[in-house]
Amino acid sequence: MELNRRDLLKVLGLAGFGIVGGGALAACTTPGSGTPVSSGDALLDLWTHDPGYATFFTSAATDAALVGGSAWSFGIDVTSIAPADIVSRLITQAVAQRPLPQLAGLVIDQFPRVMRADIAENLFVDLTSLTEPLGDRLLKTQPYSVDGKVYALESDNSVSVMFYRADLFEQLGIPDDVGTWEELLEIGAGIAADTGQAVGMVANGDNGSIVNGFVQMLLQRGGSLYDADGNLTVVSDESVEVLELMAAGVRSGAFLALSDPYGGAAAAALKESQLIATVMPNWYEVYGLQANVPDQSGRWRARTIPKFAGGGHIGSTLGGTAFAVLKDQPLTDAATDLLQRAYLSEEGQLARYHAGAYLPTLVDLYQSPSFQQISDDYLGGQRVFEIYAAAAQDMPIFYQAAGASVLRDSLGGPILRAINGQIGAEEALATGVRMYERQVQQ
Amino acid sequence: MTTAVAATKLRSDQHRWAPYAFISPFFLLFATFMLVPVGAGIYLSLTDWAGLGEPDFIGLANYSRLLGDASFGAALGNTAFYTLFAIAVVLPVSLLIAVGLDARGLKLRDFFRLVYFMPVVLAPIIIALIFGLIFDGQYGLLNAVLEALFGFGGVSWLTDPMWARVVVVVLVLWRWTGYLTIFFLAGLQAIPRELHEAAELDGAGVVRRFFSVTLPQLRPVTAFVAVTMLVNTAQIFEEPFLLTQGGPGEATLSVSMFVYRAGFQRQELGYAAAAGVVMFVIVFVLGRIGTRAFGVGRTR
Repeated sequence: MELNRRDLLKVLGLAGFGIVGGGALAACTTPGSGTPVSSGDALLDLWTHDPGYATFFTSAATDAALVGGSAWSFGIDVTSIAPADIVSRLITQAVAQRPLPQLAGLVIDQFPRVMRADIAENLFVDLTSLTEPLGDRLLKTQPYSVDGKVYALESDNSVSVMFYRADLFEQLGIPDDVGTWEELLEIGAGIAADTGQAVGMVANGDNGSIVNGFVQMLLQRGGSLYDADGNLTVVSDESVEVLELMAAGVRSGAFLALSDPYGGAAAAALKESQLIATVMPNWYEVYGLQANVPDQSGRWRARTIPKFAGGGHIGSTLGGTAFAVLKDQPLTDAATDLLQRAYLSEEGQLARYHAGAYLPTLVDLYQSPSFQQISDDYLGGQRVFEIYAAAAQDMPIFYQAAGASVLRDSLGGPILRAINGQIGAEEALATGVRMYERQVQQ
Repeated sequence: MTTAVAATKLRSDQHRWAPYAFISPFFLLFATFMLVPVGAGIYLSLTDWAGLGEPDFIGLANYSRLLGDASFGAALGNTAFYTLFAIAVVLPVSLLIAVGLDARGLKLRDFFRLVYFMPVVLAPIIIALIFGLIFDGQYGLLNAVLEALFGFGGVSWLTDPMWARVVVVVLVLWRWTGYLTIFFLAGLQAIPRELHEAAELDGAGVVRRFFSVTLPQLRPVTAFVAVTMLVNTAQIFEEPFLLTQGGPGEATLSVSMFVYRAGFQRQELGYAAAAGVVMFVIVFVLGRIGTRAFGVGRTR
């Protein structure tokens, strides 16, 4: 057959049109929708930012102790995505009617994005029927609730405790059972003047870190950013007290001001033994201490946080990642079943701890022998659940609202100025809230 | 009508449409990937939309909100500062480096070119990490050097609003100077040596030759580089986002970051689109002004 140039162009054009047209038509289909699968093979798509969760779910899917007796035979297909992109892609995929995962890990500060405009209600399965029977036993459902309905289950209780260098505390004569922040700050000021070492840190970098540090202490003091109905409650005596304490700590040198509590500056402060104590959630031991100063293994200990003289708690919380089930998909029921087995059973919570040191969210498990007997080599063989149990029992409740991101950006600058002593605590809070209300009211 | 006439007419029609058919791919792609998104963006800017469900049409409410939004004002001010710096500092520095590299008899010319161009090919996240280590207030390299040399080193480079802006523009300077230098160098190498020699014979010194020969001959390149830099810096995102995340407070927030924050951190897509449209208008107007001022596209 003779093929001239014109015919060749026609053939190529038609082929190209066919490919593009076929692709366009294929794009118009809506994969993912279909009849619900009630048993059999269930290969679940999971989106997460943390390899630890990927490892846990992958092993949990085939762990007979967890999934034995289930109607499904599970498998996990993991996609690693950055925390902010998970929410963005869930929404864009849903709008474009493209495939969605069955399970998605939502970092706590990303959840407020789905609290607007019924996004959570439209995307995620309402898990309240799973959490309600557990009542107060189950912690940290509030940050992932919208209108009283729970849309995601927390993976790690993220209980804040005080990590401290036992060897240096002893050497410097700091009692390891100091009762209040006020006492510790007084001791810390003296230590800072003598040796330049600090008994705590305050973030002064990006707005997220600044506000997170403030919120951790505010919750401990008994204050909050929002109440259960999403009303702003940050302007309070507790907030003023916390800000003043932070500013006093930085002023005296008892607190070290660091731009990034997880970055190079914090690592340097730890390596140089300049930072000898810090209040952080349990996961900081792995991601902050063990990662940056493995050579200090055995020298660190954990204890509950000193109370404020004015009252409050001995524990707090910061951070977390919860898993949500995407609704209206053939494997939605299977994903819900796996999540319930992995996240709401004692076996699942124990497996999670062993997989990535994720603390249980069922508060009574902290007292169970399987957890109580765990000792932590990095913390000098300390039975850490004695500490975590006390902190979890007294852990404050953290509420979020749709405007939480606006609040973070509004408060960041004024809080930093208050910490630096440029403005007073009350003025900082008033300025931040004024900025917030101007944006949120509109 | 005879068959021959019909065939002639068909050929004539084909000839008439052929040029349009040949240039149609560009316009199809342009319409699909430029006009439709721009149109959708403008429509979105007139709505309240969180990403799911039907957008609510709210007219110009997003624009009137932008007018009263102090954060947007701060972002505009910061972006204007970055843009001004880029034109007033980065451009002249690039030109001077290019002149230096173009000097006759310069040894290690290729090495210097490589060094100046390297920041362009480095991943922004690595640059941000390195700059973070250099400018950290507590443990940063720069403060350590200042302390060792002058006895003071307590500058809060990234946590003081003024210094944070300075660090961002230093990053802009460091990152883009080498890139622009390459353009200027290409322009310099295209200037005939005879012009310099003639000027030298007429008694012109180095400075006189620079202003009377080099600069006029470089005018088209300078115009292109200036307008490109103007438009790019007006949309600056990576540098403040990676280095300071717009902080402390909103001290380094740029308009692009404002758009990103509204759209992807607060799910206010209509508001983000309105800010995007305003940014587009500003960049377009600045681009046009720059084009006219520098005479881009005009024959010499």
